[in-house]
Amino acid sequence: MEILDKLINIALVAATLRTTAPILLVALGGSFTTKAGIFNIGLEGQMLAGAFFAVLGSIWTGSALAGVACGVAAALAFALAFAVLVVTFRANEVVVGLALNILAGGMTISLMKAIFGTRGSIVGHGIVGLPKVQIPGAQALLGSWAPLISGFTPIVYVAFIAVPLLVLFYNRTRLGLYIRVVGEKPEAAEALGISITRVRYTASLLCGLLAGLAGAHLSLGYITMFTENMSSGRGFMAVAILIFSNGDPLKVLAGCLLFGFADAFSLRLQTFGFPSYLVLTVPYVVALAALFALSYRARPKIIRETLASMQKLLSTDRTSAPADKNPQ
Amino acid sequence: MSNAPGSPTPHSTVGMAVELTAITKRFGAFTANDGIDLAVRRGEIHAIIGENGAGKTTLMNILFGLLQPDEGSIRLNGETTVVADPAVAIKAGLGMVHQHFKLVPSLSVADNVFLGMEIRRHGLIDHAAQVARTHELSKRFGLHVDPTERVGLLSVGIEQRIEILKVLVRGARTIILDEPTAVLTPQESRELFQTLRSFVAEGMTVIFISHHLEEVMEVSDTVTVLRNGRKVATRPTSELSKDELVRMMVGREVSFDRRPRAALNGDVVLDVRDLWARDDRRLPAVRGASFTVRAGEVVGIAGVAGNGQTELAEVLSGLRPASHGEAWLKGRDLTTLGPAAIREAGFAHVPGDRMVRGVDRNASIAANTLMGRQHRAPWSRSGVLDWKAIAANAGTLIKSFDIRAQGSGDPVKRLSGGNIQKVVLAREFTNGADFLLIDQPTRGVDIGAQEAIHSEIMRQRAAGRAILLISVQLDELAALADRILVMFNGRIMGEVPGDNADEDRIGMMMAGVLPEPAAEPV
Repeated sequence: MEILDKLINIALVAATLRTTAPILLVALGGSFTTKAGIFNIGLEGQMLAGAFFAVLGSIWTGSALAGVACGVAAALAFALAFAVLVVTFRANEVVVGLALNILAGGMTISLMKAIFGTRGSIVGHGIVGLPKVQIPGAQALLGSWAPLISGFTPIVYVAFIAVPLLVLFYNRTRLGLYIRVVGEKPEAAEALGISITRVRYTASLLCGLLAGLAGAHLSLGYITMFTENMSSGRGFMAVAILIFSNGDPLKVLAGCLLFGFADAFSLRLQTFGFPSYLVLTVPYVVALAALFALSYRARPKIIRETLASMQKLLSTDRTSAPADKNPQ
Repeated sequence: MSNAPGSPTPHSTVGMAVELTAITKRFGAFTANDGIDLAVRRGEIHAIIGENGAGKTTLMNILFGLLQPDEGSIRLNGETTVVADPAVAIKAGLGMVHQHFKLVPSLSVADNVFLGMEIRRHGLIDHAAQVARTHELSKRFGLHVDPTERVGLLSVGIEQRIEILKVLVRGARTIILDEPTAVLTPQESRELFQTLRSFVAEGMTVIFISHHLEEVMEVSDTVTVLRNGRKVATRPTSELSKDELVRMMVGREVSFDRRPRAALNGDVVLDVRDLWARDDRRLPAVRGASFTVRAGEVVGIAGVAGNGQTELAEVLSGLRPASHGEAWLKGRDLTTLGPAAIREAGFAHVPGDRMVRGVDRNASIAANTLMGRQHRAPWSRSGVLDWKAIAANAGTLIKSFDIRAQGSGDPVKRLSGGNIQKVVLAREFTNGADFLLIDQPTRGVDIGAQEAIHSEIMRQRAAGRAILLISVQLDELAALADRILVMFNGRIMGEVPGDNADEDRIGMMMAGVLPEPAAEPV
């Protein structure tokens, strides 16, 4: 029990919020493209480029904010390339997404080598991390619960505030509505003179914006460094969440919290001396378990549908279905 | 061609909502609209009637700016207008309800109605105002819908109401409906007609496309008949009888001579007994059809398109379940078999829509002549296709059926309509089947190819095949058929001998004004 107490406490919840933020941001970004009817597996690459250029920008300018801006700009460039290829030239989304992911991985490694002469990671060099926001009065108001709302970097707040904003965006704004229409029924959009191309470009760039923020959070948030393949599959987790949530902001939040918790929990386990390789598998095991659980729930439905369609087949064999003999 | 006699005042623009003058539209070599004049008075329900492919939808798409005419001009409310795109038409007070609805299932009715012109307050969409406005409009015109319901949960009939509301919200004063009743139940159709009358009562104009005689007679003030891309006439509905209307629709000029034939008295090959089937809306489409087809006999089925012929063909070929009745082919009941088993039983099918069911347009001629018999010698040996034999066989067919192509490796899509149809005939007629179901063999085919196809059908007759020929062209039936059965509203209204086809009698039966009990099965 003592170990459990040490494992599960307010610090773990705070850590969960922290680790959820990057996945949440990138998944919310992906929500724009998902809702607009684009299957975007390029999230990983946009995030990685964002992380790398955020570090670079922060070193060059000495400002964390300028670093974030650099990271977002890089992710936007990737998102624009994605949109040009997928929307304008109608290339296959999966191929383009994969290609951009590979490009981001390779580019960050070679640029690291070219600029810093190192492989593996960039540490020091005067990277300026993001400040932590201490909410005044939080300590007095909540006491030991204060870490739940105070002491995060700005991007964490942005991520969680973005959830209700996106709900509002999809339900009450014209652009949000058009993104949904373009994804769900492009012919309807076309008939009403809504430009599918323009809406999809907008969705793709909004996605790049949030993915860039997510990347900047990785490299300038709690650790101020860049390592090879730093996004470590978060973009793909976001894709998995998007498939199951259909881009719904609230469902995205739920899925991201699950993964964020697994992430934080695995970090926590490491400090207890569990073998790190085993511990690092935790988020992925959770991902698999979640997918399994979801598909398990869907399974009886598949069986039901199969049975129903077989029954339909049998009833068209007229010898076995006297009920259908009645013409009226 | 100028206005037909009886059309409302040709040159005055007063009180005209829409005037089209000499509209011509060509698609490649095909002329969809050939110098069509149309004048629609304000405040009337104007029906445009004609068979499938008569050019109704093309004409309306031109009026609404979805297509640009090659020749001719458009006047809207008396002003000459270039309708460059639908936005121009909408601005001029036109609204179009298409055959295929374009609604977003996850959005509410009101959101769909206002999509593209949302009511906003402080930059946010004002759902409450949209719901209120939708409710008000739906009440005013008897278009009963719940504005807050999600569209994905609603029936097709209600979806159509939403499409009409969409048009109304955009301020339309002239509403074009393209085959609005095609997807409706009779009850829903009646409600739609009431709505249309309430539009006219408010001074609005309705243009209504249809190929159903009854509803045109019931609801319209004026009828314009189109046939083969030309206008036949514009007449007040009250001066017309159904019978006249049918004759204008299907035309009576005979372009084919009756084919000479030897009398043959073969055995009964196909015996259809009291066959019933439903259409895609689950409504009865074939209602108690009974007939026989003998070896060496061509039995024609006449009727205005959409009176159950398609469903009858689909039931016989195994593509649609029968809800009642039997169809015996050489001792087997086709209604219990699937398409492959039906073909094995000695049934060849030339489908009405050759591009959908007749050929694979991307495959070669050789591959298309193979389909359905790929598992048989000489086309395959021990489960492996013998492409040499297939190509050789296709080469023979290309020669004997006079298919104009470069070679058997040509993809079918490069051929003309007539030659594609010949590919289908070549495959189906060389299958050794005793029974041939031939549906609209010469639709969209040029005259030369039509003659060749007719000759081929007569050769099959002479070879002792039993042939059921479904056609909307009376002259084709008169040229080929030994007996003509007339279908109306899913029933076989009567039978006319082919060698003395009385077109007035056929026309009355096609219009449903001459009901005769269907012939009892032998």
